Amino acid sequence: MTVLEGLGAGFMSAFEGARFLAMVAGVAWGVIGGAIPGISGAVAMALALPFTFALDATTALCMLAGVWAGANYGGSIPAILMRIPGTPASAACLMDGYELTRQGRAAKALGVSLVCGTIGGVASIVVLIAMVLPLGEVVLHFGSPETFALAVFALTLLAGLAEASFLKGLASGLFGLLLTTVGLDSLTGSLRFTFGRTELMTGVDVVAAMVGLFAVSEMFHRIAHPEDVPDVMVGRAYTAFPTLAELRELWPATLIGTIVGLIVGVMPGAGATASSFVAYNEARRWSKHPELFGKGSMEGVAAPETANNAVQGGDLVPTLALGIPGSNSAAIMLAALILHGIQPGPFLLSKHGQLVYTLFAGLLIVNVLMIPVGLVILRLCLLALRLAPPVLVAAVLALCVIGTYASELTIVNPWTMLVFGILGYGMRLSGFSAAAMVLGMVLGVMAESELRRSLIISHGSWTIFLTRPITAALLFLTVGVLVYPVVFGVLRRRRARRAVTAPPIA
Amino acid sequence: MSAETGDAGGRPGDARRGELAIAAVLVVLAVVIVALARRIEPGVLTDPLGSRAFPLALGAAIGLCGLLLAATTLAPGRFAGGAPVFVEDGPVDEPAAPLLGRLVAAVVLTAAYVAAFEPLGYLLATPAYVAAILLVQGGSSLRAFAAAPLLVTGAFYAAFRFGLLIPVPDGVLERWLPW
Repeated sequence: MTVLEGLGAGFMSAFEGARFLAMVAGVAWGVIGGAIPGISGAVAMALALPFTFALDATTALCMLAGVWAGANYGGSIPAILMRIPGTPASAACLMDGYELTRQGRAAKALGVSLVCGTIGGVASIVVLIAMVLPLGEVVLHFGSPETFALAVFALTLLAGLAEASFLKGLASGLFGLLLTTVGLDSLTGSLRFTFGRTELMTGVDVVAAMVGLFAVSEMFHRIAHPEDVPDVMVGRAYTAFPTLAELRELWPATLIGTIVGLIVGVMPGAGATASSFVAYNEARRWSKHPELFGKGSMEGVAAPETANNAVQGGDLVPTLALGIPGSNSAAIMLAALILHGIQPGPFLLSKHGQLVYTLFAGLLIVNVLMIPVGLVILRLCLLALRLAPPVLVAAVLALCVIGTYASELTIVNPWTMLVFGILGYGMRLSGFSAAAMVLGMVLGVMAESELRRSLIISHGSWTIFLTRPITAALLFLTVGVLVYPVVFGVLRRRRARRAVTAPPIA
Repeated sequence: MSAETGDAGGRPGDARRGELAIAAVLVVLAVVIVALARRIEPGVLTDPLGSRAFPLALGAAIGLCGLLLAATTLAPGRFAGGAPVFVEDGPVDEPAAPLLGRLVAAVVLTAAYVAAFEPLGYLLATPAYVAAILLVQGGSSLRAFAAAPLLVTGAFYAAFRFGLLIPVPDGVLERWLPW
């Protein structure tokens, strides 16, 4: 099957009635959820997960892709209208977006955000398709040792990008890996960490854990820190699309946003927030009117909004090609696969090609759908913003319990969710990384089973990891990531000491 | 995140003690993991690594992270990347202390809701839970306090029961319903 044939079939499949409706619903919820401060794209996706239980895997993924894309735009609505970023990634666009609102040009700013976001999203998906398929060919040569080395490398890389501290990020990831060992060991049949409880024999439910870590911990944070919830003053607003002449003026900023979003998106852990700020700065650097930035520049809205949406495609490159989620949102996409009985990993593309092609088509559709849905749903977003924060918190917590119960109709999952909600809140307070932990939980099964399979193949010899070039290279890179901070620290200290002891130049 | 963790905000001594406490927790956790992993019974089948090795290695690695965290906290100048950044001079924005009473109440209420979810049934447990969470947070108008529990319960019931065709637990109230 050629790429075009695959995409054609993907589009046919994506436009099937229920699937298309699910995407529309996903985009609508994404825009509304993203507009509500505190509900990030990942939280909006985690809350949408329970609604995918009744759907097939492909429809579920297309719907979640819609939530993801929609949340990127939704976050910019309060940022532009009220100077409140709906999502962290929309913080960059508020600098000029809100200035434009003060100048009475809010409608145009919303239109630029919507159109440029769509351009960035669509462009990034085209690049994703171009990159994932060749990578998928390479991955076909992967055996158990390579897959294990890839999982280890991904984990250390993401731990290194943890916000607070590398060690805490690493510990979070390791704990996530450990959680996947709970239950029945599929290779030997022994029970691990079940404490005699039959409920734990099937392991820790990833979806319940994820809902707890992302959504419940966020709600607990809002209860414990009500001062973090901004006061929202909602007025009236509408959207006005930019004219072709205006778009021509904005194309350099849009191009910069797309390129930055793609590059930052491919880097695991960097995310939409970093990309929108980098794009904003780059657009200002290359602009003909840098003096207007911060004072109501349309380019200052276009660049971060394009980058924000372009991250989606870049983020999905390692997610779909290698099974390594580059962000919380991508990890939720992989969790949805697990939920539907599909093991994510490097062989997703070769084993479930039709699903991946339909997802490609779905990603293109949801990015285009953002325009009509974004237009229609603006008024609903403003209504959602009027929702009192305590009501929102209560509703989200109730939904988390109902949703996790509904996944397997067992009360064990809501308990799991609650435990992880408390854990997530504690991790947030103490600087641990929930994202690294989730990554560990997603990669854990793959890491252990491939490690053990490799050793079965080699009759217990560890040299198998050194004699295969890809495996050795990946493990070498892993060691590099681990050792780099220490070596860098030593070198920096030596340089500083030399600078102090060096005689002054006469 | 640093502002929430106390790395950047708060007094340097407090932040250092906090980091050491976290390091100690990691080491204790590692000891528990290793002890539990050693008690894993071998399975029916065998492989070169066995069922214990992976959890044992992970436990040891978590412990190592804890020890390194302690080392980087005690000697921040010797390492890069792991040490928290302490603000030595000048005023700092202290993050507001969490409202622990509210948080504990919310956690307890959520646990009670989960415990009552099946015995009481969805339609009885949910409005009570939503009302209780609103009460804990305070600041809700009487109208919101009266309407929100019923609206939230009704909306989710309709979405799951009729939209997704996923059953929610039946309790006392559900017996009176015509469907």
